[in-house]
Amino acid sequence: MPDSLLTALKLIFLGLLYLFFFRVIRAVWVELREPKGVQVAVVPPAAPPRSASANPNPNPNLRPAWAGGSSGPERLVLLEPAEQYGQMFELGEELTVGRASGCGVALPDDTFVSTLHARVFRRDGSLYVEDLGSTNGTFINDRQVTGTVPLQRGDRLQIGKTVLELAR
Amino acid sequence: MAIAAANPTYRLPARRRTELGLIVLAVMLTGGLYMLASLGKAGSLPANIGPFLGIICALLLVAHLGMRKLAPYADPILLPTAALLNGVGYVFIARLDHHLAGLQALWTAIGIGAFLLTLFLVRHARDLERYRYIFALLGIGLLLMPLLPVVGTNINGARLWIRLGGVTFQPGELAKIALAIFFASYMVERGELLAKGTLRIGRFMVLDPKYIAPVLVAWGLSLMIFLFENDLGSSFLFFALFIGMLWVSTGRHAYLGLGAVLFTVGATFALKVIGHAQSRIHSWLNPWTLYDTPGGGYQTIQGWFAMAAGGVFGDGPGRGSPQRIPAAATDFIFAAISEELGLLGGAAILAAYMLMVGTGLRIAVRCERDFEKLLATGLSLILAVQTFVIIGGVTRLIPLTGVTLPFISYGGSSLIANYILLALLLRISNDSATPVAAAATDMTVLS
Repeated sequence: MPDSLLTALKLIFLGLLYLFFFRVIRAVWVELREPKGVQVAVVPPAAPPRSASANPNPNPNLRPAWAGGSSGPERLVLLEPAEQYGQMFELGEELTVGRASGCGVALPDDTFVSTLHARVFRRDGSLYVEDLGSTNGTFINDRQVTGTVPLQRGDRLQIGKTVLELAR
Repeated sequence: MAIAAANPTYRLPARRRTELGLIVLAVMLTGGLYMLASLGKAGSLPANIGPFLGIICALLLVAHLGMRKLAPYADPILLPTAALLNGVGYVFIARLDHHLAGLQALWTAIGIGAFLLTLFLVRHARDLERYRYIFALLGIGLLLMPLLPVVGTNINGARLWIRLGGVTFQPGELAKIALAIFFASYMVERGELLAKGTLRIGRFMVLDPKYIAPVLVAWGLSLMIFLFENDLGSSFLFFALFIGMLWVSTGRHAYLGLGAVLFTVGATFALKVIGHAQSRIHSWLNPWTLYDTPGGGYQTIQGWFAMAAGGVFGDGPGRGSPQRIPAAATDFIFAAISEELGLLGGAAILAAYMLMVGTGLRIAVRCERDFEKLLATGLSLILAVQTFVIIGGVTRLIPLTGVTLPFISYGGSSLIANYILLALLLRISNDSATPVAAAATDMTVLS
């Protein structure tokens, strides 16, 4: 095989190699240009209104009343056990609940709580509760949840023997 | 609270389509390079080109389908870029040593298996947080393993390997990941304590030693282990990872200063005590005068000759003579690639690493939670520092220490560890990019 052909093929290879990087950079660029990064379009599920509120194009009517224009941050108020009644936890972007001292809501005395039990977080202005693989589960209004569940004002969040209520 | 829809249909995440396109291109590049190398070396197409293309297509297809199933929203460019690096590395290994190439193919398959297993087992990156001390023990245990009497093995003066049956393995590669997980979870919990002084000495608030002690112990212990095992590259990598993560988690530049001081102390100590380190520095400073000394500058200078011979466009795949460089398939593979693909090829390799590290940091920026943020930073740092240490060593920017070039060098442990690292980065990426509506569907409401 003549040298000139091999050289030409080599240059073609190098060109294609840079084409690969060009395409990689274009993929990154397309994502960076999108306002919210990689919001993946979700076809709204048939009926249920609540999960539709988590759609990237939220329908304002489906938002919980307190989500927009509310004054002041929401708080979790501790209802049980009675000795700690009334303790408040302000909700920022995220609040972790667990027995570990590093948690936003640290419950070192409740043995039914896992080290890192659950978290309450905000996404697109709405609050959600997520169980973090706890041993004894997380309950909203006495219903056990796994995965991510929206949290609304007045909902009672039970974790171990501790009950918290979302107030404002 | 009736939320779970019966059967929500998602549009295929665009990211996976991008990934597939890039993978196809990476396969074409690898196949083309394989054919070119054989044409350049033997003047004919490789006999096994069919099976070769079949196997890489199958491996990458499995990896891609695994991503669709296990991490559909994850970043699209990491897997193809790693696949390209792995493919280019394989071609050069095959061109240098047929026996190693067969093994590398096997390691690649195991690596992709480990990649998928990691994605399968670690469903959420945050799950790793609760096993922090298990990971700390695992990391230190893996580091200690080569020191064990029966299985531990010395190769090239470094005691880094364990030998089980006929297979040697470098457990330190996996230890880096385990320790990055430990550091991330520990520093996140103690972040504020590490960032602000809590103990008053005179006018200054200083760190309470008790908060930083466990990390310092882990650092000192691992550093000692590395020094006993004579592996300076990994020792530096580990140290840089530690300081980098501490800096990122606290935002205090003082830790970089502390790191520089500790590093100087450690380096001086190593120079005084360890002959291995001394000879590395000497052959770094005077490669020409030590050209004929065993363990001197011969290897570095052969690497230079190779890179110089390559010039801007390279000698062409299969047409250089990289077999003259000692360890061309492992530590010095960058010199071999630069010889045959030239400055342009070498720069492309560097660009690939920069894109991967940049993507890793971009994943970190996107994370909502500190643990994932810090873990992604740490994993990117491992990749970046390791690449810097070996390419810096080959080009004589810094003293040469033998670490592998991620995804490219021959080496089973390194390949497997890097695929696990990749899987964790993609898992973190998937966690932060998953829309809430999609997360809510795997929810069950029991009443």
